Amino acid sequence: MTWWEIVKAEFLAVFSSHAIVLTVFGGVVFYSFLYPLPYNHQTPREQAVLVVNHDGSTLSRKLERMVDATPQVRIIGHAHSEDEARDRFLKGKVAGILVIPEGFHRDLMKGRSPVLIYAGDASFFLVYGMVIEGLATATGTLGAEIKVGRILATGQPMSLAVKQHTPLGVNMRPVFNTTMGYVHYVVPAVFVLILHQTMLIGLGLLGGAQREQTREGVDGYWLRVPAGVLLTARLALFFAFYFVLAMYYFGYCFSWYGIIHLAKVTDLLALITPFLLAVGCLGIVIGQLIPRRELATAIVLLSSLPLVFSAGFIWPESALPVALDKVVQLAPSTPGIKAFLRLNQMGADFSQIRGLWLQLWLQAVVYGGLAWWLLRRRQLFYQHHLVGGGEPLSLDPIEVDPTRHRAPPVVGPVPGDGVGPEGHHA
Amino acid sequence: MNGTLRQRLRREIRILQEEPWLMAMAVWLPPLLFVIFWWIFSVGSSFDLAIGVVDLDRSDLSRTLIRQCDASSAMAVEQQYATVQEGRRALVGSEIYALMVIPEYMERDVVLGMSPRPTVFYNGQYILIGKQINGAMLKTVGTLSAQIGGLKALATGAALPGVVGQVAPIRGQIIPLFNQNTNYAEFLVSGAIPAIWQILIVMVTAISLAAEKRHGGLSGWVAGKPALALFSKLLPYTLILWLQGVIFLVGMYGWLGWPMNGSWAALILAQLLTVLAGQAMGSVFYLLGRDAAQALSLAAVYTAPSFAFMGVTFPATDMGWPALVWRSLIPVTHYINVQIQVANYGVDPWRLWTSFGALLLFIVPMMLALRLVQRLAVGPAVDKVSPAGGEVPA
Repeated sequence: MTWWEIVKAEFLAVFSSHAIVLTVFGGVVFYSFLYPLPYNHQTPREQAVLVVNHDGSTLSRKLERMVDATPQVRIIGHAHSEDEARDRFLKGKVAGILVIPEGFHRDLMKGRSPVLIYAGDASFFLVYGMVIEGLATATGTLGAEIKVGRILATGQPMSLAVKQHTPLGVNMRPVFNTTMGYVHYVVPAVFVLILHQTMLIGLGLLGGAQREQTREGVDGYWLRVPAGVLLTARLALFFAFYFVLAMYYFGYCFSWYGIIHLAKVTDLLALITPFLLAVGCLGIVIGQLIPRRELATAIVLLSSLPLVFSAGFIWPESALPVALDKVVQLAPSTPGIKAFLRLNQMGADFSQIRGLWLQLWLQAVVYGGLAWWLLRRRQLFYQHHLVGGGEPLSLDPIEVDPTRHRAPPVVGPVPGDGVGPEGHHA
Repeated sequence: MNGTLRQRLRREIRILQEEPWLMAMAVWLPPLLFVIFWWIFSVGSSFDLAIGVVDLDRSDLSRTLIRQCDASSAMAVEQQYATVQEGRRALVGSEIYALMVIPEYMERDVVLGMSPRPTVFYNGQYILIGKQINGAMLKTVGTLSAQIGGLKALATGAALPGVVGQVAPIRGQIIPLFNQNTNYAEFLVSGAIPAIWQILIVMVTAISLAAEKRHGGLSGWVAGKPALALFSKLLPYTLILWLQGVIFLVGMYGWLGWPMNGSWAALILAQLLTVLAGQAMGSVFYLLGRDAAQALSLAAVYTAPSFAFMGVTFPATDMGWPALVWRSLIPVTHYINVQIQVANYGVDPWRLWTSFGALLLFIVPMMLALRLVQRLAVGPAVDKVSPAGGEVPA
């Protein structure tokens, strides 16, 4: 078999497996719609706030109007007491409560600094932040107006008074994701993980299926062609698939969702290459280690949430347990997500991600070597035990008939390996 | 295969013992994964996020500001840069999460009452981290500003009680409801654990059915009493996975002592319904094609994005209708609703009938699974039929 014929055989193997097609192509395309779906509105705005107004003055009603005018919150009604507000909160549809104390106006005029109460549901981080931000902004504005009024009363001109109400201010400027949108936060990182996970599953399913068939006595090409040739053929095929899928994600999808992408195409390609090679080699390793193909899906699926939480974009890397941070460095997704975000979303230049890039190359080399060794070991094992004495490996096309079936295996199914007499009959 | 319920259950336990992977996923991996999630977030919510400073003022005031930023529990001043360009490079390379640029003449402008404003560029790509820094920075600068304002007022001869009113005409007291120490990690973990639990439920169901195919064939299994066959297949895992649910509840609200304000019974009942719903979906995924790999691929597509739809990170109230439709099809979203309402808010379980009702609606896929098993019982010998997917051409 020539290299191209192996590629062709692997290509046919991929497309005759529903599970691989479903995961690799179906999964990647389906997730490109599904994953951003919850975050379509980008930020949770106009949170519902209840007001308990014990004051009833004109000024307190002005404050209410100012609260309602903020983009973060809107007032959905009034409660007569804190208890009633709490009760309505528990019934749902309320995110926060504003309590204006009795004598609010009077105390303010006398310079006694009345205390407003902002209560929010602290379970939901985003909602809570919005409620507090909205209420604090509105009261801050009212407070500033009052201060300016006082300074004006001392005879200072308006232009100075406006400046003087706070001795020291601060401009807070979010960068990279300037609108703090949730799609822009989740999608660039999670899409890298989706490529990673589906590629691992696809390769795991392919390798696992061949192992199952080998046990059933199928004398497949994967046992006969040189391990290095098989490895490069499989890697090239999946590299090609995922190159196209990565272009779909980083190109089409990012544009569609309006996600910032700053990387030069050449830099992006220089990063995609070791990333896909590292993931590809790891996928081939997984395919050789699992006794049955479906276990690839199981292992990879269970690893998704731990990997995403320890990738450093949700939870700061410095706050992760050190041992865990070391372990997750083994997964290509960890340096991959960091490098893609820095290069493409934050506009780092390539020298700033060199360490991560080298880590990916190192993974590609180590997993590649491991994959080659595992493929080779299995071939030697079966040639030795089943064929009896090691037929020479050959690239000669006549030597290998991929449809040829061997006699039933001499060695029975490995105990615990799970393939009984009722296994698949191809 | 024939046999009484007792014989069938005993046989199922034997299969479980012979299947190391099934044993792992049903028995010891779940608690291990629960612990891993807790471990990831175990540092809690106060961490020294690295920030950088470009101090163009180099005054006492700028040094005080830098010191106070460093003293905040959320931030640590990692590095000072001579130029904005250097600082920008560090921010872009994620060496620091935020860069504070202190303008020239800041101290002088404060004295002159010009209200100078340092600019803080913070990383919005990491939203959670960015929001932490935003909050901590506003608080730090606000406090310093109030201190300066207070001193100024005192210097002009105001009496101390009046100073507070001058500096801050209105004050706000923030009351975090239901999560007093505003520990976001706790809340994330309490959502992530049910998410992985659901993945395990659906997977274990599909894998246990696939094990039957290897242990005696599906035709023999359904022969005679298909409903009993399905029931006895699922029941042991219902109990095991339900117990896993109770384990994480006890771990979170008992052992770790997170606040639990409602009825344990309601939570545990919701867990049983969640297990059954997940088993219904897992059974359908397997019985549709009777191919383990295809079933798990479907399970992956179905359960993997669940966490995003649970509304723990991004609230469900702000999702659009397409997201809400998909959300309603996933059992764990209804479960998490019950868990948050009961454990956090102490809501009366009767008020949660919609969530319980939604979980009960998964009787529909369960009926479908039963129908598929019955068809299997009367149909041709399925074990001889090539599975729908997954075969590599030999």
